[in-house]
Parts: sequence; C-alpha cells; structure tokens
Amino acid sequence: MESTIFIPLGMGLIVLGAGMGIGKFTSAAAESIARQPEAADKITGAINLPLFLLEGVAILAEVFTFLMLILK
Amino acid sequence: MSAEELGHSKVSIMDQVGPNIIHHVSNSDISHPIIHLGTFWGIDFSITKHVFMLWIVAVILMVTIIIPIRRFIASGSLVPTGWMNAIEAISKFIRDTIVKPNVGEKWVMTWSPLLMTFFFFILFANGIGMIPIFDVLGLINRFILDVPADPHGTHSGNIINGMLHGGVTATGNFNVTGALATITFFSIMIAGTLAHGFIKHFKNLVPHGLPIPVYFLLIPIEIMGLFVKPFALTMRLAANMTGGHVALLALLSLMAIFGEMFNSTFAGVGVAFIAIPMAAAIAALEIIVVLVQAYVFTLLTAVFIGMAIHVHH
Repeated sequence: MESTIFIPLGMGLIVLGAGMGIGKFTSAAAESIARQPEAADKITGAINLPLFLLEGVAILAEVFTFLMLILK
Repeated sequence: MSAEELGHSKVSIMDQVGPNIIHHVSNSDISHPIIHLGTFWGIDFSITKHVFMLWIVAVILMVTIIIPIRRFIASGSLVPTGWMNAIEAISKFIRDTIVKPNVGEKWVMTWSPLLMTFFFFILFANGIGMIPIFDVLGLINRFILDVPADPHGTHSGNIINGMLHGGVTATGNFNVTGALATITFFSIMIAGTLAHGFIKHFKNLVPHGLPIPVYFLLIPIEIMGLFVKPFALTMRLAANMTGGHVALLALLSLMAIFGEMFNSTFAGVGVAFIAIPMAAAIAALEIIVVLVQAYVFTLLTAVFIGMAIHVHH
C-alpha cells in the first residue's frame, strides 16, 4: 500500500477535529445566550476570536498536508 | 468529441485540469512578465500578475477611499453624506469594535490608521479577486478581436494576452500576506517599545516571579510564539483565498471531465445544470469568507498589539 494513502486520511481527521471544535463552541455560545439574553453581544464578541483561531489552525494543518501531497 | 478528435492536443482533459487550476491561482511566470524591469542586486523586479493586481488595488483604494476622505476633511463639513457616510460607518466600526477594546483608550489614535489600512486593503484585494475581469477580457480578445490563444505568455497578439495568465487574487500569494504579517510583527515590537521601553517589552514576554527552571522552558516557547503568530496570520489569509478559488475552479472543471469521461458533449452540458449552481453557491460563500478574513486579520493584529501594550499573564 502506498504511503501517500494516509494523506487524505489526515485531511479528513483535520476536518473532523475542526468541525467538532466549532460545534462545541457554538453550542456553548447558544446555551449561554439562552441563559442570559442581555449578554448576547458580549458572548458573540468573546466567541469570535477563538473561533477564527481554530479555523486558522485547521487551515494551517490542511496547507501542510497539501504540501506533503505535492512534495511527495 | 474527444481530445484526439478535436486535434488540439494529445493530452487528456483529466491531465489538463490540475495544471489549469494551479495556473489560475498562482502568480504568472517570472520569465514572461507583464512589464519587463531589470534585475537589481540579484532580484528580478519585473512586474508579474500579482504585482500588477497590487497596483490596481492601490489605485482603486486611492480613488474610492483616500480621495473622498481628503475632500471631506478639507471641506470642513461635519455631517458626511452618501459614500462618505459608508466609509465613516466602517471606520467607526473598526475603531470602536476592533481597536479600542484591545488597545485601550490611550493608544487608539496611534494604531487606528494602521488597522484601518489593513482592513480596507485586505478587503479590496480579496474582493477584486472575486471579479472575473480578466476572463471577460480574454473572451473578448479571443472571440471579438480574434487574437489567437497565447499559452506561454510570450506577448503574441496584444498586451491583454500577456495579462491573462496567473491568478487575480493578490492576497492569495503568501508573499503578499507575508509582507502584511511582517508589518504586524514590527508593529507588535514598536507597540511594546512605545508603551514600556525596548528591553522591558521583551522582559514582558514571560511573567515574573516564577521559579528559575520554568524560564528555561518558557522563554524558547515565547520566542517561537513571536514568530508563529505572524506566520499563522500569513497562512490563514493566503490559504483561505486560494482554497476558495481552487474549489470554485474544480467544480467548474467537472463539466469538461464528465464530457470527456462519457465521450459526449451532452454529458458535459448536462452536468452544467448541477455544477454551475453549486459553483454559484460556493462563490456566495467566498464573498462571506472575503469579508470575514479581512476582519479576522485586522482583529488578530489588534489583539497582538493589545497584548504587547497591556501585558496580563
């Protein structure tokens, strides 16, 4: 079995991790807004930054995986 | 109509799709630039497609944002109207939501110009990448002006032919976003130096009062963090921009692939009814990504500058 078969598998794992992370974030945000609707703006503001950091991590990992595929 | 019957080339469509997509998102070839400039100190300064797009973005920014603002300030009126109203709304949003919460009241006026420049430049550079002006120019060239195709950018035909190669999104090139991230890197150092002094800024990287062995681990990690944060900024913007365009082009190439696989034009045209709406949906998502990525770059720069000014461990 060629070793490049694990690279798409890795990409799928990255997407899985990012999806789970963003899902947890959003559910926590929705729950806390439901508890305290007045704080909706603050909660959205607090969620913004970590969300995009996580997306950045996922994109970085995808870029490196793609590089591995190209340079194999 | 297979490739062999067409007689254009003996290469199958499946083999052409990959290089075609790469060609559409990367920079044009340095050996066939748009404008030929000399080589100084070992660096070839010829104008390639992405540099040309940077110039176009700069001109559009100047005409759309800078000149109206200067005219408004010079006229001295207090209430903006029309387009100036929109610019003021966006600038207020950036200053009050992005800059002030992170940088603090004292330094807002110092760092707002830089962050507004980042926001508007990245927004326009990303957005212009979504407008297929060069594809339309190529179509006009080929079918109305009857200039033959120019696969290697050798400037046969007219000047428009030389401009067609390479991707349109300047910020899809990691060198461009790397330059922006370098500005962020130095801004963080300058912010910390202005607020605390040069040596104290670097001493502020690690919290005080920890046992000595912890410092041996913490200092290398913090120094690496100094470089990783701008690197992540670079790759985040560049990969988001190229990735969207690659997805769009791959969907549109489905038509040709299906046409070749089933050896009939009707299969290709039939797939068009699925591929083109999906490509339109991905393009709509791309517009959201364009706005969000400009916002995120500016926000993260503001957060890093704020972390250098208000050190809290």
